[in-house]
Amino acid sequence: MWKQFLSKLPRKSSKSDSSPAAACLNGNPIRWTRSGNVVPSRSSTVKRTASAIFPSSVVTSIEPLLLFKDVPHTEKKNLFISKLNLCCVVFDFSDPDKNTAEKDMKRQTLLDLIEYVDAGSSRFTESMISASCKMFASNLFRAFPPNIRSSFVGGEAEEEKPMFEPAWSHLQLVYDLLLKFIESSSLDAKIGKKYVDHSFILRLLHLFDSEDPRERECLKAILHRIYGKFMVHRPFIREVVSNIFCQFVFETERHNGIAELLEVFGSIISGFALPLKEEHKLFLWKVIIPLHKPKTIGIYLQQLTYCVAQFVEKEPKLATSVINGLLRYWPVTNSQKEVMFLSELEEILEITNEVEIQECMLPLFRRIAYCINSFHFQVAERALFMWNNDHLISLVSHNRQAIMPLILPALERNIHSHWNQAVLNLTRNVKKLLHEMDEELFITCENNFEQDEMEQKIAEEKRRMTWHRLESSAAFQPLAGNTAVLIRPPLVSPVVAAARS
Amino acid sequence: MRTLALRGSKRRGPPGLEEAELRGFGEDYRRAQDATKTSPRSITTAVAASSSYRSHLQWLAPPATVTFRGHHLQQMLPPPPSAGTAIGRRRRARLCLLALSSALQPPVEKKEQSGPLLSLPVRHGFVVALAFLFVLPPPIFLSSSPLPLAACDAGPLRQRQDLDQGWSHMAANDEPLYPIAILIDELKNEDIQLRLNSIRRLSIIARALGEERTRKELIPFLSENNDDDDEVLLAMAEELGVFIPYVGGVEHAHVLLPPLETLCTVEETCVREKAVESLCRIGAQMKESDLAEWFIPLAKRLAAGEWFTARVSSCGLFHVVYPSATDPLKAELRSIFAQLCQDDTPMVRRAAASNLGKFAATLEQSHLKSDIMSMFEDLTQDDQDSVRLLAVEGCAALGKLLESQDCIAHILPVIVNFSQDKSWRVRYMVANQLYELCEAVGPEATRADLVPAYVRLLRDNEAEVRIAAAGKVTKFCRILNPQLAIQHILPCVKELSTDSSQHVRAALASVIMGMAPTLGKDATIEQLLPIFLSLLKDEFPDVRLNIISKLDQVNQVIGIDLLSQSLLPAIVALAEDRHWRVRLAIIEYIPLLASQLGIRFFDDKLGALCMQWLEDKVFSIREAAANNLKRLAEEFGPEWAMQHIIPEVLEKINSPHYLYRMTILRAISLLAPVVGADITSEKLLPIVIASSKDRVPNIKFNVAKVLHNLVSILDQSLVDKTIRPCLVELTEDPDVDVRYFANQALEACDQVMMSS
Repeated sequence: MWKQFLSKLPRKSSKSDSSPAAACLNGNPIRWTRSGNVVPSRSSTVKRTASAIFPSSVVTSIEPLLLFKDVPHTEKKNLFISKLNLCCVVFDFSDPDKNTAEKDMKRQTLLDLIEYVDAGSSRFTESMISASCKMFASNLFRAFPPNIRSSFVGGEAEEEKPMFEPAWSHLQLVYDLLLKFIESSSLDAKIGKKYVDHSFILRLLHLFDSEDPRERECLKAILHRIYGKFMVHRPFIREVVSNIFCQFVFETERHNGIAELLEVFGSIISGFALPLKEEHKLFLWKVIIPLHKPKTIGIYLQQLTYCVAQFVEKEPKLATSVINGLLRYWPVTNSQKEVMFLSELEEILEITNEVEIQECMLPLFRRIAYCINSFHFQVAERALFMWNNDHLISLVSHNRQAIMPLILPALERNIHSHWNQAVLNLTRNVKKLLHEMDEELFITCENNFEQDEMEQKIAEEKRRMTWHRLESSAAFQPLAGNTAVLIRPPLVSPVVAAARS
Repeated sequence: MRTLALRGSKRRGPPGLEEAELRGFGEDYRRAQDATKTSPRSITTAVAASSSYRSHLQWLAPPATVTFRGHHLQQMLPPPPSAGTAIGRRRRARLCLLALSSALQPPVEKKEQSGPLLSLPVRHGFVVALAFLFVLPPPIFLSSSPLPLAACDAGPLRQRQDLDQGWSHMAANDEPLYPIAILIDELKNEDIQLRLNSIRRLSIIARALGEERTRKELIPFLSENNDDDDEVLLAMAEELGVFIPYVGGVEHAHVLLPPLETLCTVEETCVREKAVESLCRIGAQMKESDLAEWFIPLAKRLAAGEWFTARVSSCGLFHVVYPSATDPLKAELRSIFAQLCQDDTPMVRRAAASNLGKFAATLEQSHLKSDIMSMFEDLTQDDQDSVRLLAVEGCAALGKLLESQDCIAHILPVIVNFSQDKSWRVRYMVANQLYELCEAVGPEATRADLVPAYVRLLRDNEAEVRIAAAGKVTKFCRILNPQLAIQHILPCVKELSTDSSQHVRAALASVIMGMAPTLGKDATIEQLLPIFLSLLKDEFPDVRLNIISKLDQVNQVIGIDLLSQSLLPAIVALAEDRHWRVRLAIIEYIPLLASQLGIRFFDDKLGALCMQWLEDKVFSIREAAANNLKRLAEEFGPEWAMQHIIPEVLEKINSPHYLYRMTILRAISLLAPVVGADITSEKLLPIVIASSKDRVPNIKFNVAKVLHNLVSILDQSLVDKTIRPCLVELTEDPDVDVRYFANQALEACDQVMMSS
């Protein structure tokens, strides 16, 4: 039986070699050499690879298709390795009818392996770990196909349906195995870290860009376990993930797995020790906050808010910089995003105490006032709904001297001119609320309102005049280098006369 | 205020005035800034600080009176006359100008002098200003000078009021201009639009300040004050790139570097890129010694930046600074760049990869081989495909810099490897770049290595890669000799013509025509023609269109006869395509086809189609069809049009559908100028006139429009006899639009009559 199978192997791989898909999957020598310790340096048939790493005696001594229960205890480890080697063969799933028997065989083998790891008999030896990682690498690490929708239809993809990985029936089992493998108490982290190394983790993290949500779900669980198990790799994982975030925010604005990565990070952040290290704060400012910029924020907003909230809960002092960050990335034209920002803001405010709010109070409530005046009724509504929040109200009432003069004009403006009935009603409610809060102040602010409007108009006119005068006087200033004689014309109004008189 | 001002000026004393002012400004500004940073009640403090700055300035430069040649200008100025004569106004304006010019150019250092008070440049400026006043004609004043001047020549009351306002401004001069203060005020505003506007007008502020104060005050202010919205920063980065004239020319260009340096480190990519662009622009103008003194340290600082943004920006600056560096510095710069190529952050490596070509172009040949090649190799072996991708882009540029044998030794293996990269993006890039490298490596290596690589790409598993490769097939073949092309490339082209992806076939169809001249007539007929034909029958309309659009190229090689038979079904099919854009595209090519195919063929086969489009369901097609008729008439001449087009067109005027009748009117108005007055008056005009009795108002006002056009073509007598009565009748139409257009046309008739 083994011979039969082996005789199939070369034929099969030569077959798949001839098909371009396998050529691509077998891959690029450069890539493979870089990850030297697990994979062969030349693309060759599986059989040759196997014997290159494991002495043929080890490989051939055991029949891979046997079941674990059928071999003596001493042989189980060898059987494990030889089954793993068998699973290194990657099949082409673009044609479902091709190699069905072999595909089924691999599936069965993977199930056997999962069962074995799950049983958690004895510690994995180094060669077992190495063979596992090699198998994971050859199955999982692949280049994703181009996204057809975005490249041809000019990005006008309506309802994006997730793309499903054709080879999922195998991939799923490999992911299951990887998860069990990492979780398993049989895996010693000290030995494991040699094989689950930087290159392995880097490539694993790149898989988060997969279009298949099932794959990302698996990866999430695995990344979480790796982060938990391999303490040494923690800084590296954080660094790579923040690079992925930065690339997403500042370069491509395309990545499928931001939500999943953030979800893992949410639990990582909640595990940060107190007081927070400078490095983690930097991560918040330089990476997490800028994630508010991309227009696809809706996809991962929930996870993002969770991360931010974790930070603020850990260290309340961060609330100020978080709120300032939100205000900095506040959307200008995207009303949908604006609504999301308001929700996040409310969540952050919920866990912010009064001391922290002081520093960013003015710009914050000025922004809220703008939102109240938004012509998009959802934005205005959302901003007005915030006033149902008791925590917010207590914040406001403590600082009403500063806040009321900002908010009241916005409310007045709405009552004068907002088109939407629901917004009008909400505005009246909020106004009433402010009135009840401090009647005296309320009336003073209301009286100031008209005067302010006037003053604003005057200021505008003045500004126009100032610029006009500035332009006129600038027109009289000669430009550099045009004429040698006119080189020094500093503009200071003459002081002499006044100084003398 | 005034007493305070005087006390102030006594306390400080006159000589150190400017310096004191500067210092004072600095202090207040810093206080304001600190206040914003620390205090919760920041805004009020900041405002207070800035207003104290204001008053501070006021006592430093009290603007109450202006002196000129020892006299107080105010005393010289006559009181505002109640009814100013022209002369009076002009005089006043002149005096205002005096006031203005001296207000702009204060004689700061010369104040101890007893003689003429204005310094030489100031006096010169004054003379120039006077010259302006007398030499330039009034309209220029109106546009370019302040109010008093604008009013000086014109009499109307409104302007006189302006003048008086301007007068009170100048005479009282109660609010002097402090450009920096204005800027600070504006940048404090809540409204981003205002901040943006003021940054966009930085050059005005700079000009008003003058070069020296721009250097000493404005630029430092900008370097510190860059915690604003990205939008504003982007504008700032852009403005500073063209700021050299405002700081006093190239010798002072280095003062612009600090603000741009900070902008190079911000988060937002656009801002950084713009800042780098501006830096490069400034660097290109700076003197070599200045570059060494200011620019190189800047590049080094950025390259050592803590956060990746600074390092990314630095990558784009090396090519500016390298040529001006001394030898040891050059070595240092090279090693810094090499470090950037190995940076931990992929973003930096990507920036290094995309700037490698530019940097390499400035390097000496010897270093090119050693240093650059090792950097290049690092990048080509990167873990991330996004980095390798950019390294490929550099391949061709590097290849051109190197000598042929070095290129073969170093670049060729890399690109061959890349052509089998695991990532399709990398292979795609190779497919796009490969033909450029062929020139660099020479024919021998091309044959041995690049052709197989290219063939692999043409057969790539990923459609995207095949699209890129197919699109370059002509360029690639042009470099090869025909023999090689026929032997290796042509079989692939054959495969691609039946590719499963329509986009691959479309890409091939758009370039395949270009192969004909390279392959020669025999090979074209034998090998290429069947491919053309199969592509012409392709089910995907874009493929067919792409072939037809390049028809003239094939025609040159094999002649139209061979093609015409298979061409026609393709054209007919496209002419009736479901998608109107396809039909539109084929209509656009009809004149080209007509000129290629000749009159006879056209009459037989295509004439009917052209008529058919006039009755298309889509307006754009009908409009294009009318236009097409005009272009055909131009191509084949009025005689032909008279015979073949006009009778059929005119027949269609009886169509029951008014939209079709309208199309015919449109066609007539287009054809008329081409076919000339005779045919128009004989054939076209009667039809138009008859249509004026149509029951649909739309037709009627279109008749008016057509007649409007015909007026200029036709004879005056005919216009009077036929067109005018018809139009007059239309002016009495119940429909308002018909009346409007009829009146317009009548006006045109009148104008023609007047001019003749």
